[in-house]
Amino acid sequence: MTASSLPGGQSARLRRLRRDYFGSPLAVLMTLLSAAVIAWIGWFLLDWGVIRATFGADGTQETCVAHGGACWSVIAVRWRVILFGIYPYEEQWRSALACVVVGVVILLSCLPRMWSFGRLALVWVLGTVIFYTLMRGGVLGLVPVNEQQWGGLPLTLFIFVATGIIGMPLAIGLALLRRSEYPVIARVTGWIIDTIRSLPLLSILFTCAIVLPFMLPGFLIGEKLYRVLFGAALFFAAYQAEIIRGGFQGIPKGQEEAAKALGLTYWHRTFRIVLPQAFRLALPATINQFVIAFMETSLIVVVGFMELLAAGNTAFKTGEWKFAYAEVYVFIAAIYFAFVFGLSRYGAYLEARMNVGHRKD
Amino acid sequence: MTGPSFLRSRAFRRVTLQAGFVAGLLLLVLAATLTARTNLATQGLTSGFDFLWKSTGWEMNFSLLPTTTADPYWWYLLMGLMNTLFMGTLGLAGASVLGLVVGLMRSGRNPAARLLGTIYIEIFRNLPLILQLFFWYAMANALPAPRASIAFGGALINARGLYLPGLMVGPGTVALAVLSGLVGLGLAIWVLTARRFNRVEPRGQRRVALLAVLAGLIGAGVFVVLGHDPADAWVTLPALQGLKIDGGFRIQPEFYALAIAITTYGAAYVGEIVRGGFKSVGRGQMEAAAALGLSSWHIFTRVRLPLAFRAMLPILINQYVWLIKATTLGIAVGFSDFFMVIASSINHSGQTFEFIGILMAGFLLINFSLAAVLNRLNRAIALKGHQTTGSA
Amino acid sequence: MSAIARTNVMDLTAPAIEITDLNKYYGTFHALRSINLTVSKGEKVVVCGPSGSGKSTMIRCINQLEEHDSGAIRVFGTQLDDNLGSIDEIRREVGMVFQQFNLFPHMTVLENCTLAPMLVRKISRAEAEATAMRYLEKVRIPDQAQKFPGQLSGGQQQRVAIARALCMQPEILLFDEPTSALDPEMIAEVLDVMVTLAQEGMTMVCVTHEMGFARKVADRVIFMDKGEIIEEAPPEEFFGQPKSDRTRLFLSQVLGH
Repeated sequence: MTASSLPGGQSARLRRLRRDYFGSPLAVLMTLLSAAVIAWIGWFLLDWGVIRATFGADGTQETCVAHGGACWSVIAVRWRVILFGIYPYEEQWRSALACVVVGVVILLSCLPRMWSFGRLALVWVLGTVIFYTLMRGGVLGLVPVNEQQWGGLPLTLFIFVATGIIGMPLAIGLALLRRSEYPVIARVTGWIIDTIRSLPLLSILFTCAIVLPFMLPGFLIGEKLYRVLFGAALFFAAYQAEIIRGGFQGIPKGQEEAAKALGLTYWHRTFRIVLPQAFRLALPATINQFVIAFMETSLIVVVGFMELLAAGNTAFKTGEWKFAYAEVYVFIAAIYFAFVFGLSRYGAYLEARMNVGHRKD
Repeated sequence: MTGPSFLRSRAFRRVTLQAGFVAGLLLLVLAATLTARTNLATQGLTSGFDFLWKSTGWEMNFSLLPTTTADPYWWYLLMGLMNTLFMGTLGLAGASVLGLVVGLMRSGRNPAARLLGTIYIEIFRNLPLILQLFFWYAMANALPAPRASIAFGGALINARGLYLPGLMVGPGTVALAVLSGLVGLGLAIWVLTARRFNRVEPRGQRRVALLAVLAGLIGAGVFVVLGHDPADAWVTLPALQGLKIDGGFRIQPEFYALAIAITTYGAAYVGEIVRGGFKSVGRGQMEAAAALGLSSWHIFTRVRLPLAFRAMLPILINQYVWLIKATTLGIAVGFSDFFMVIASSINHSGQTFEFIGILMAGFLLINFSLAAVLNRLNRAIALKGHQTTGSA
Repeated sequence: MSAIARTNVMDLTAPAIEITDLNKYYGTFHALRSINLTVSKGEKVVVCGPSGSGKSTMIRCINQLEEHDSGAIRVFGTQLDDNLGSIDEIRREVGMVFQQFNLFPHMTVLENCTLAPMLVRKISRAEAEATAMRYLEKVRIPDQAQKFPGQLSGGQQQRVAIARALCMQPEILLFDEPTSALDPEMIAEVLDVMVTLAQEGMTMVCVTHEMGFARKVADRVIFMDKGEIIEEAPPEEFFGQPKSDRTRLFLSQVLGH
């Protein structure tokens, strides 16, 4: 069959396909090589993960090794440790419910009709309060559970939500100070932001966990968890402040002048005219920053918390499942991936939608 | 109107707001310092930097130059800083090369290659770095015991580490050789970017830079030859001796797990930056080059790549700074980077504040100098007459 | 005149604008050189001059979008000094229309018009919307009230900007090259609105190159160059027998083709 015997559109498409895949010796090589690698990865995953894998809670090291594939039994046996850490076993329904609450909060914040300062603040604060009540207990007949016993997915989500809820107002504050018309305030804030940004997050978390207690009066020291959260939020805020500043820079100077000429005060100009436009411009970068913040929650394992990753480590570090590290990491990776991939796809969708809107103008 | 009018004056507000802001910050710092001093005093800790000259009494598990428990803190800190820089350099280089490959695959026309590039980026970019690090480290530890080492091309790998054929030269010699190479490279960058050479013809400038790099490499070679003991063989191959490996050059699992993690993770980000850079090159430029009859290789090397590189450099600077900071994850697997040395020092000496101060100073220094060098490069290659989009 | 209670203590019998010995520097650049100008209530003044002559800077000093370095500005007897209260007060009474319209892109036309009256004058939403619709009718685009600025043509946007300024019911309107960013076919619709306003007795200071408009409505034309007022005369005299060479040169360039 020759390409010319086909109707025009189809033949052109075929020709293009043939050119892209097999247009030159190099293209042929690339195609074959890439296809081989993809096929190999695909086959390996299928073979290891499904065909030769052992499922079900009754698998042991012997049966798994005999099958030669993945040993999903470790997940079947240990999933509650991975997801909820050392939270009291009978109370783990609370952890699960708390995760659902956070999920709802995040889903709600993705709806454009929720995008006003008031509504977002309401959803996030309300969500955090419900989450905290469920996890901490001590009221409504719930057994109190100390923060040190929190672990697994809820802890990861809690750190994420708290980072956002403390970090975002901080970021707005820093960004406003950074663009202050008073040079001293703007410059000093700039130094603070730059310094925080050039330090590794780990060192900030470490400082908050270990050093901060020395510097605070007794009544302010609080749980280590909250100090570490503050560090994470501060780090998030320093980056987010620069993102918001980028948004400010995208707003024509005339916007603020027009608001001034109408007699609006600083706060009205800021919250009605400047910030809404800055956030719109900075939206893709902001979502990206949230994605990074979510991935960075896993760093608190280093200062001794049992979040998802650390809980996963304990799940296989004990004797009998020691060989099954890959299965546990794949399981955890799947959870992170679902969340991060979903959020970044959503960001890409928003960006595309905004670009379309721009073209209409 | 309410209140005395000077309270509402612009000048008054300017002074009070700025003075208040600075005073507030100073107050915060002062309060923290005073509280810290009281707390330290009650715990019987003294402040000051005398401890830097005391010996540490604990071991460092990886260093480029030899360390012993008798060495003072300052030497440990210096070695830690070198480890961070070494790991950072390896990570940056690896991530850049791999990232360029992935980015090219993603921006090419071949759909199969594009798909492979996309799979790579989506997997490595969407998982936390520390998770990837743990995975590689667990994998390294799950390798067979030394007596069942896997051999390939003269190298051995087992749960204790990766054993490469080693040059028979002392560590001091290696340090001198590396220094020589770095001096050459530094000279080359300086010649290429310094303003005072702007007048020189670009090709001459490039030739001098190449010469500087060559001189550095030759210097490195000379140091190696001089440092080599003629009685020894040039190369040692690792080999199994009883239950352990003799000869060769051992790379610990902590080290290569971290290097792999940073390289593969960084490459995913660099790949996206590379793709963005290529996307930013207008079709018109390429069409113009094609209309002039340039071959596709020349279009790529003379038009597309240089323009794309200019577009990506400012974003790459941020990414590089980020990658250097990521080396601190070494502490999670026990690689003695700067941060881990600091953390262990705090544990052993109790000189918390001094070490945190050193930590901050160290990272500020690393990041600002890296950003300064890269920004300089950015300015040097920026298109004349275009606004440079500087950053970091 | 307006239904809105005035919160200020402005003296409406004093000259609308009184500028004495005004100086302004950008660094070492002397942008305004001892400007003296009085505009009485109801007067229409057109300011023209080559670009960079300081005409925009001068009217932007009147509502303090630019801070002046020395000299005095009085608006209805209230002196603009370093006092933030006086700045707020004067901005309430002085409206401004910009070259680039500067409508708020994230708000509808109606929201653009009601925002400031509600926040600054503290009137109810219903009242603000009624006022807004009245002025949108005056600029002849009431049907666009629910649209966003990005969906309107340049001429329509500038008319909305005029309506937005009018909604604050100002005593004085400043126009900063209101037609310079418009396509030629849209200039007329904006000038028509400005002529109507002039005929209704609004106090106006217009920086513009539209000499036809100046001839038609101006009580006085002012020519500025290099930060100075060079000439100041009623339109017939200004266009008929300009005194200064620089004015003549400028007029020949603007009217020459």
